Amino acid sequence: MGQWFARLFSGLIGTKELRILILGLDGAGKTTILYRLQVGEVVTTIPTIGFNVETVDYKNMRFQVWDLGGQTSIRPYWRCYYSNTDAIIYVVDSVDRERIGISKSELVAMLEEEELKDAILCVFANKQDIEGAMTPTEVSQELGLSALKTRTWAIFKTSAVKGGLGLEEAMEWLCNAIKSKQ
Amino acid sequence: MYSLLSGLVKYVLKKDEYCVLIIGLDNAGKTTLLEQVKTSYCHNSTQFPLDKIVPTVGLNVGKIATQGVKLTLWDMGGQDALRTLWKDYFLSCHGIVYVVDSEDEERLLDSRDVFLKVISHVQTTDLPLLVFANKRDSDHAEDMKKIKSLFKECADVIGQRDCVVLPCSALKNEGLEDGMEWLTLRMKSNEPRPARENG
Repeated sequence: MGQWFARLFSGLIGTKELRILILGLDGAGKTTILYRLQVGEVVTTIPTIGFNVETVDYKNMRFQVWDLGGQTSIRPYWRCYYSNTDAIIYVVDSVDRERIGISKSELVAMLEEEELKDAILCVFANKQDIEGAMTPTEVSQELGLSALKTRTWAIFKTSAVKGGLGLEEAMEWLCNAIKSKQ
Repeated sequence: MYSLLSGLVKYVLKKDEYCVLIIGLDNAGKTTLLEQVKTSYCHNSTQFPLDKIVPTVGLNVGKIATQGVKLTLWDMGGQDALRTLWKDYFLSCHGIVYVVDSEDEERLLDSRDVFLKVISHVQTTDLPLLVFANKRDSDHAEDMKKIKSLFKECADVIGQRDCVVLPCSALKNEGLEDGMEWLTLRMKSNEPRPARENG
């Protein structure tokens, strides 16, 4: 009975939790982004081994955001979290030109997964506060984003540490893209 | 037996699929156009709040069905830096919708030049082209004749391709269906680019 009421209530208010994964290579800034989104502050992070999960409210929408560790040894575990994902935030270290190729192959492998077929892709070209960072256009070319033909995607330049540049804009887009899909 | 039946069902329900690339300068109204087309063709889809549309920095995908075929619509960002990505879609699309902002008199020539660049690309030589002069609802919209004559100057480059310039208002959802129907007809009869078969 209680459950029934809860469902009716959430149906009326319309706060379905949307599931978002934050993925990317280690050191890209995923955890910093997650907490920037949640508490609006820069927190000191240590490399994530396992995951962090937080609920983020944004404009009447409630997101369940999963930040998964990005080290080589734990990337194979990403797939355990793929089911029912509405959107993927893929974080790229825009300064790390050496590993952009690895970042691309991880992204491509991930997007081939059947469970992520309908997920929206939002790429964060992060660390834009550092000089010599690649532009969003460069990042999108390096990642080969234009090879995506059936998926809604966007790329934003972000800086999680410097005033949260681009995060607001990106979340706005994400909300719209999810609504437009429904 | 099952595979025979399922094969039969698939065959009956099979629809050809065409891909349409929607491009144009930034702020031309491409995303609004996509959302409106989606609402008018998919009756179960809810109207997206048009005032909430933000500049596209990537790709928006829409799917509709008309004239017994499926259309996949690719709405691409039009900002300067993003235009380099357009060409990656030329080879796999079946038709191009080019959106022009009728209000933006200053950049009308720019828009035409960008269009010229697109249609000069070798991978677009066999594509039907639909130019939408958008925002006709505005009081400040440029004269339709002027826009038409401006794009007619490209006739040499257009050559054998099907090309038409149509007025529309994405915001008011006027003229969009006519344009899409025209393009679908042309794509269906365009032999160099056969449809993708899709279950």
